[in-house]
Amino acid sequence: MAQKKTRSTPQSSTTKMVLPDDITFPLEIRLHGRGGQGGVTCAKLIAAIYAQLGLNVQTFGDYGAERSGAPVRAFARVDRAPIRNRNKVYQPDHLLVLDAALLAPPVLDGVGAKAAILLNSPEAAEKYAETFADFRFGIIDATGIARKHGIGTSSVVIINTTLVGAYLRLLELPLEVLEDVYTGMGLEDDLAAAKEAYQKVQVCQPSPRATQKTAKTTGGQLETCLPEVKPQTEHFEDIPSRLKTGSWSTQLPGYEDYVAPCNHACPAGNDVVGFIQALKTSGPDAAAEVLLHTQPLPSVCGRVCPAPCMHECNRNQMDGAVNIRSLERWIADHSDFRLQPEKAAKAFSLAVIGGGPAGLSAAWQLALRGHQVTIFEKESKLGGVLRYGIPVYRLPEEVLERDLKRILALGITSVCDHPVDKAEMARLHQDYDALILSKGFSDAYNLAAAGESLDGIEQGLDFLARSRKSESGENLVGDVVVIGGGNTAIDCARTALRSGASSVKLVYRRSRDEMPAIEEEIQDALREGVQLLALRQPVAFRGVGQVAGIVLAEVELGEPDADGRRRPLVTERTSEMNCSRVLLALGQQNTLDLLPDCWQIRKDRIWQKDQPLNIWLAGDCATADGTVTHAIGNGRLVAMEALAKLSGTESTPTTTPQGSVVAPAQVRFSHFPVLAPHQDRHRVLETYQNSFEEVNLGLSGQEEAERCFSCGRCTQCDTCLVYCPDGVISRSENGYQIDEDYCKGCGICVAECPRRAMDLRDKGLSDVR
Amino acid sequence: MSVELISANHAAALAATLAGRANRSARGFCSGVYPITPSTECMEFLCGQEIEKGKVVRADSEHNAMGICIGASAAGARSFTTTCSNGLAYMVENCVAAAGYRLPIVMSVANRTLGPPWNIWADHGDSLLLRDLGWLQLYSADNQEVFDTVLCAFRLAEDPRILMPVLCCMDGFILSHTMAQVEIPTQEQIDRFLPPATIPQRLDKAAHTLGQMETPHQSVVHRSQHHQAMLGARQVYSEIQDSFTEIFGRRPADPLVSYRAEDAETLIVSMGTLGVTAERVVDQLRDQGQAVGSVRVRMFRPLPDTELRQLFGGKKRIAVLDRDISIGFGGALWGEVRNFADRDSIVQGYMIGVGGGDVRPEHLLNLLAELEQSEESAAPKIVEVA
Ligand SMILES: Cc1cc2nc3c(=O)[nH]c(=O)nc-3n(C[C@H](O)[C@H](O)[C@H](O)COP(=O)(O)OP(=O)(O)OC[C@H]3O[C@@H](n4cnc5c(N)ncnc54)[C@H](O)[C@@H]3O)c2cc1C
Ligand code: SF4
Ligand code: SF4
Ligand code: SF4
Repeated sequence: MAQKKTRSTPQSSTTKMVLPDDITFPLEIRLHGRGGQGGVTCAKLIAAIYAQLGLNVQTFGDYGAERSGAPVRAFARVDRAPIRNRNKVYQPDHLLVLDAALLAPPVLDGVGAKAAILLNSPEAAEKYAETFADFRFGIIDATGIARKHGIGTSSVVIINTTLVGAYLRLLELPLEVLEDVYTGMGLEDDLAAAKEAYQKVQVCQPSPRATQKTAKTTGGQLETCLPEVKPQTEHFEDIPSRLKTGSWSTQLPGYEDYVAPCNHACPAGNDVVGFIQALKTSGPDAAAEVLLHTQPLPSVCGRVCPAPCMHECNRNQMDGAVNIRSLERWIADHSDFRLQPEKAAKAFSLAVIGGGPAGLSAAWQLALRGHQVTIFEKESKLGGVLRYGIPVYRLPEEVLERDLKRILALGITSVCDHPVDKAEMARLHQDYDALILSKGFSDAYNLAAAGESLDGIEQGLDFLARSRKSESGENLVGDVVVIGGGNTAIDCARTALRSGASSVKLVYRRSRDEMPAIEEEIQDALREGVQLLALRQPVAFRGVGQVAGIVLAEVELGEPDADGRRRPLVTERTSEMNCSRVLLALGQQNTLDLLPDCWQIRKDRIWQKDQPLNIWLAGDCATADGTVTHAIGNGRLVAMEALAKLSGTESTPTTTPQGSVVAPAQVRFSHFPVLAPHQDRHRVLETYQNSFEEVNLGLSGQEEAERCFSCGRCTQCDTCLVYCPDGVISRSENGYQIDEDYCKGCGICVAECPRRAMDLRDKGLSDVR
Repeated sequence: MSVELISANHAAALAATLAGRANRSARGFCSGVYPITPSTECMEFLCGQEIEKGKVVRADSEHNAMGICIGASAAGARSFTTTCSNGLAYMVENCVAAAGYRLPIVMSVANRTLGPPWNIWADHGDSLLLRDLGWLQLYSADNQEVFDTVLCAFRLAEDPRILMPVLCCMDGFILSHTMAQVEIPTQEQIDRFLPPATIPQRLDKAAHTLGQMETPHQSVVHRSQHHQAMLGARQVYSEIQDSFTEIFGRRPADPLVSYRAEDAETLIVSMGTLGVTAERVVDQLRDQGQAVGSVRVRMFRPLPDTELRQLFGGKKRIAVLDRDISIGFGGALWGEVRNFADRDSIVQGYMIGVGGGDVRPEHLLNLLAELEQSEESAAPKIVEVA
């Protein structure tokens, strides 16, 4: 019965009708169902029907301490005389079974030859024809009908109001009674389902040879169906009772790890929840041990990563994401832990071309597994963009060096100042078992606007590289305009500010919301005094020899294009602005001009005609993802792929962990105290001129780790153990164990687990719904 | 008057609701409640009712639920609550206070075994905790009786000659969760039966204290007044029965419900629903020519001693059934009534249905058959019932 506000059954008027002959009094009815199926209410509905017919009724459930899923009985008694019998029903005249999976001796106990039996099952009557040959027997798919009529919820279908329709038909009682009763109880909405059941129930009459006394499956005599009257002896039985109630349950809880959303989101494949929990319980070295398995550049990512992990953090739905990036930085800054390389069964020799994050990650993974790696780098130092792109106030030199030192300590050879060209490529291919090509993006795009070749206009990347290579940064005066909206543009703007510019304007053709740069970086830039001119497109530069001004057209946003961002529509409206320097930051091309002509790229691998070569692409030149963490994840993936091919094993490496991800709704927020995120400390200066010191100083401690819910991973918090009403959970060597003999499958432990480290599984009873 | 198919828990709550509404022209109704199986549905029902000038406060414990009732009653409101088992045990300290303040609070108890080990089924051990505290105690045997008893309890409690709390007991689950037809009077009838409550000691504009420190002698006097008032309840109850009959057209059950007892040689004595099972057994044995009768003790405090002595007179055998154990002694009812029997009667105590077992006629037939053979009373026996 859908729980309507029905206080009781008014019995003001009774329905007059003649009862079928075979209903004799006192009439006793018994129902068998499972906790949660509504059997007790079903008995009440039946009682209400007889009450409507002017008879005395009584109805009650057989209540136990058991919860959802455990077998439950309910009874109704009907008589013309007032009812004095206060006992349970041991010899029912009518038996209703709400769940065919319950059909076993205790259910059929005491059912006499004249009894009528009604079963809820989608099966055909024939299946039970033999078993119930001696009874009047009805079978109805009440669950199916109730579900069709939308009674209950999609997961819990409530069948009692439907089943009663079939009951009436089985007893040849007219439907009108039902209308009176359901209307009186505010159940009009369920009438249609009851009527359908009334129509559809298959009824089999007892076979003429019905001489047998009881249902066949009981195999017993009626008399044995009553519980034995025990002698008057003292009762000594051990506590707890020997009744193994676990056999009643349909579900069993179990401990299982689920994927934390942060882990799922980290492109590098970091075990975020793992390193945070390790930091929390055992400190930075333990955390580093977890982190370094996937992350060779924790000091770098702990500073410059856009941290998609934090966007997905479940704590966002409560009081703000865990500050994962800065915890990663904390670990890197506070641990000197080193992973020891393994010994490879068969060591291969590989060359990595390009010493940026992708190449470093690939080399790290290979070296960790005991292989020989040589990195060929065209610049004089390793690091790629980390070395010549990202400015030092974001990523200090010594920080990068620390990570590089740890990487090289694995025994990796690095050959710098060694640009690889087509011929060299072919040679390396001969000399090494495999090559990993991770050369990053290529040349930057130009604007193709009039006057672009004037002095004072240059690529921002060149400016950044020069600025990092020279000790004191580059001196730059006057009004600077930076064109672009990505990380390079922001870095150019902030570096220009530090290099002496009197003003820095950032010109971007779409709106601020669409800027691809990391949000925190944009905020920092604006705070430091960079002015943003959004929805502007440079159409020409003015000046004689040296740039003196820039013409900007206003931009409107049109329909979204392929990547979902709205297409910029350049208008005729223009304005002019003075400037003395222009830095272009419009993105980079992705070309591979160092491949011999007869080689082609197919799915990140190099092929010669129909032959795959042992050369793979990694990082930005393969994926164009454009972040350090992506480059690291891809570098690892490609290294594993190469190793698998070399050693002849199949591999399906993935960066994202497989399995079901813990949703916010699966975390019990109420279990955790509200605690605002610990913010990074920032160096705030009057002016950033000439200051290339690191701006973000990170966290002041590691308390932020306490905020992590540990989504999907047991912390041994004991909540399940404490909440189990049956006390069947105990600690075991490395977690918990559940005593299946007594577990009722109530699922309270699972519901109480604050972090979804448990789940209920079906014990596989056939017909349980 | 209408007939409704409701559980005894709801019947108790409905009676309390109607009684609460009947006090709208006076100081209203206020009730502190806290859930515990199998009494929960009673308090839930009450929480869902709209009672003019009434408030049901969901307390944070049974102890405070009774505290709220005490405050409400001391301020002149009609008051009611419900609990059982260990909830009642936790409430006891304030139950002592409610009685000491002589406040007319009515409480419904769906009797449940005291734990641990935990058990949710019927046993009278919980309400018997209050035996000596100065509460009236009434035990019912069907849903109608539960309803009627709660109504009568307010009249009893608030009668100026009595003025003390009343406990209305029903067997947990066996009654509390059984639905049956119950006749429900109209509010207008209830208003007639239950006039506005006057609580003479209520805290009002003139400052005074309740239950202040007193000397030994004052305490003796107060105890003796309380005791005398309780003894007077039998007389007052019969007046209430008359008034009830006049207004509702049916008579609420007597303090002792005797059934074919007059000419019986063997008598079964019991409380609660065991009594109706006893009556069925009496019918069965009478059919076989045996002179058996039953007495159901509905009013346990004050215990109708004179009437019991009268009924017990001349009986050969008396089987006293207790759904409780006074550990180290025997059944509580047996302990109280055995002395009312003739000197040569055999009075045998049985503790049966303890912890909620389903006591069937067969159990009673068995023990009666054995009793017929015995020549003298033995120590009280514990009967195992599944
Ligand atoms: C200015 C700027 C700021 C950025 N800021 C961020 C940021 O804050 N956070 C973030 O996650 N990402 C940022 N990025 C992007 C990120 O740095 C890159 O996505 C990442 O470095 C790509 O790694 P990679 O190893 O694929 O390529 P790269 O880092 O480009 O490394 C390629 C390496 O290969 C070398 N190489 C190239 N050709 C040859 C050759 N022929 N022979 C030998 N060696 C060669 C290069 O010298 C270089 O060292 C930024 C990028 C730029 C340009
Ligand atoms: S690398 Fe980036 S995404 Fe991955 S855990 Fe670190 S901060 Fe998060
Ligand atoms: S709370 Fe912890 S485990 Fe959960 S998503 Fe956030 S960082 Fe990951
Ligand atoms: S409740 Fe705590 S101990 Fe139990 S599974 Fe969840 S996290 Fe682990």
